[in-house]
Amino acid sequence: MSDIGFQILGVGAWGPNFQNWPELSAILNGEKLAAHEIKGPKPEVIPANERRRAPLPVRLAVESSWQAVNDAGLDPAELPCVFVSGIGDTQLTDYMCTVLATDNKALSPTKFHNSVHNAAAGYWTISTGCTQAANSVAGFQESVSLAMMEALIQCQAEQRPLLITFYDAPSSEVLCGLLKNDVSFAASIVIAPRGYSETRLDFSARVKQHQLKQAENHWPELDVQKMLQSCYAKNPSAKILSLLKLLASVEPRSSGVIELPLSQQTSLQITVAQSA
Amino acid sequence: MDIRLIDYQSTTAAGINIDALAKSIDSQQSGLRKNDLFGCDIDTWIGRVAAVDEIDLGEWQSRNNALAALGLKQGSITENLARLKDKYSPARVGIVIGSSTASIDRSEEGYRNLDENGHLAPRFQQPLVHNPHSPSLFVAHHSGITGPAMTINTACSSSAKVFATGARWLAQGIVDAVLVGGVDTLCLSVMYGFNSLQLISDTACRPFDQSRNGINLGEAAGYAILMRAEDAILDTGVVLRGYGESSDAHHMSHPHPEGLGARLAIQQALNMAKLSAQDIDYINLHGTASQANDLIEGKLIGSMFPKSTQVSSTKAWVGHTLGAAGITESLIAVDALRRNRVPGSLNLTTLDEQLDLSIQSDNLAKPLNYVMSNSFGFGGNNCCLVFAKAGDKL
Repeated sequence: MSDIGFQILGVGAWGPNFQNWPELSAILNGEKLAAHEIKGPKPEVIPANERRRAPLPVRLAVESSWQAVNDAGLDPAELPCVFVSGIGDTQLTDYMCTVLATDNKALSPTKFHNSVHNAAAGYWTISTGCTQAANSVAGFQESVSLAMMEALIQCQAEQRPLLITFYDAPSSEVLCGLLKNDVSFAASIVIAPRGYSETRLDFSARVKQHQLKQAENHWPELDVQKMLQSCYAKNPSAKILSLLKLLASVEPRSSGVIELPLSQQTSLQITVAQSA
Repeated sequence: MDIRLIDYQSTTAAGINIDALAKSIDSQQSGLRKNDLFGCDIDTWIGRVAAVDEIDLGEWQSRNNALAALGLKQGSITENLARLKDKYSPARVGIVIGSSTASIDRSEEGYRNLDENGHLAPRFQQPLVHNPHSPSLFVAHHSGITGPAMTINTACSSSAKVFATGARWLAQGIVDAVLVGGVDTLCLSVMYGFNSLQLISDTACRPFDQSRNGINLGEAAGYAILMRAEDAILDTGVVLRGYGESSDAHHMSHPHPEGLGARLAIQQALNMAKLSAQDIDYINLHGTASQANDLIEGKLIGSMFPKSTQVSSTKAWVGHTLGAAGITESLIAVDALRRNRVPGSLNLTTLDEQLDLSIQSDNLAKPLNYVMSNSFGFGGNNCCLVFAKAGDKL
């Protein structure tokens, strides 16, 4: 395969001690920010009556998507999008499975339609009037690398910008022994094909094959403060921090490389350099 | 880009494999039955694949994974995957599976069997099963494919979109072959969920009929192996000619009243295929038999396509198989293309009086060159696919 050259036009973020990309960027550059008390964002772009019914994973995803699109200065209605969550909405899974284990199995119709994995993509396209292709994918622990690869290939094929949003909310109590996430995290990036506009950094990506099978997939070490380290370890979507750290770096550097595991015998290698 | 289907298989209530399904279609024999799903007392009909009940996968067990495994056993899919892994390498083969339920059937069962402390019992401690990526994780494990494996979960368009993604992966060259698929199983979540939306029929479903009163749910597994034409190790004579993906931007569970997103997806698929509406010989409609879908989709198709385009919904054979519907119905259309036989719209007696379409309950022998399949899902997520016979002129 040939390498895919791309740019990052805008970023959005929401997590345990940051509510936007400038705050996350500061943390990634060593600043200490305390945890905030807010349980979840309230994205203004969702109309108030819909926002009340929107579950936490949806609000995380839509808030960070909205930030990224504004940062990129693009019209969300014109952007195709790829949404990914590693564990899905386990609070709604918990609600449905609990009700369905009783004699009266009547479900709330709103909770049922909110339980689809593409709820975030649905609320986003409805709120922004976006009629473009919206994808919603899952890759469990490899969610970030698979969604990144999928979005990069679509961006390359269509030669236009695209929104990617990574989001995971804390696991429900019953499932948290298996799906160990206990923090809310969302990040979004708007990508564009190389040459789309003038940017400070230039990225390229390639899928690498490996001779040996990996018994367990290893993500890059990330040197960040404790709270973010824990988020990176437990929240499947927070694995995007490895790329965001490269992006946030304030030191002028010639290049940086990260390798994200995709499958037992493949990985996604992303290289960043100063734009020529 | 010339993307070929080199092999395909389907497992539904109307046939354990694609040949059995073709026989059911030819003889107009539906696979639907009165609801007998364990633990579910809703008065309706379902498309249940009984052979799934016999399968136990141990640590990978879920009804969904069991159906995925049963589907992989059909025809020559497993044999051809072995050839491809051998010819290239297991890392140069990809997996893209669409699903809406994933293994939530297993989570439901786990919750029915919580221990006294409210924890999952040991046999349900399956992190690789209780998550939305479970179908692809299992298929990768089961098939020995070690290339990228991704799950698409866009409700009822999930396993139509796998063709678009698979084609893009091949065009970019990250893999030499892709196993695309769709697996969804009957479970209480979808039965009681659709019941809460008052969308379920108490009779066998009647897509596009004046007297239709709702959907029947079904379960299915479907697979196709896609390759670039120049590499294709087998020739079924079928090409993926175009795809269209769009959003309604309207409502989470109700289609856009004028079918805005559906129109965009259909137009996009025609554009990519370099075809016009009159070139399409047959459309396998989404046709769920809900009041809203059939009226909106029927009006849209009537306004976009001439009467020379035959249309039908095949959901009265297999039920609405949700996340597996896209590939199940695409493969019915592909099989129709190869056999030059248009499936009828089973259970149709009187067409909705607001519609004007070339649709009937009987099957039809007709030379086919281009076929289309529509899939529309919750969240307003739409996908349309166009398949052609190889060697047609562009």
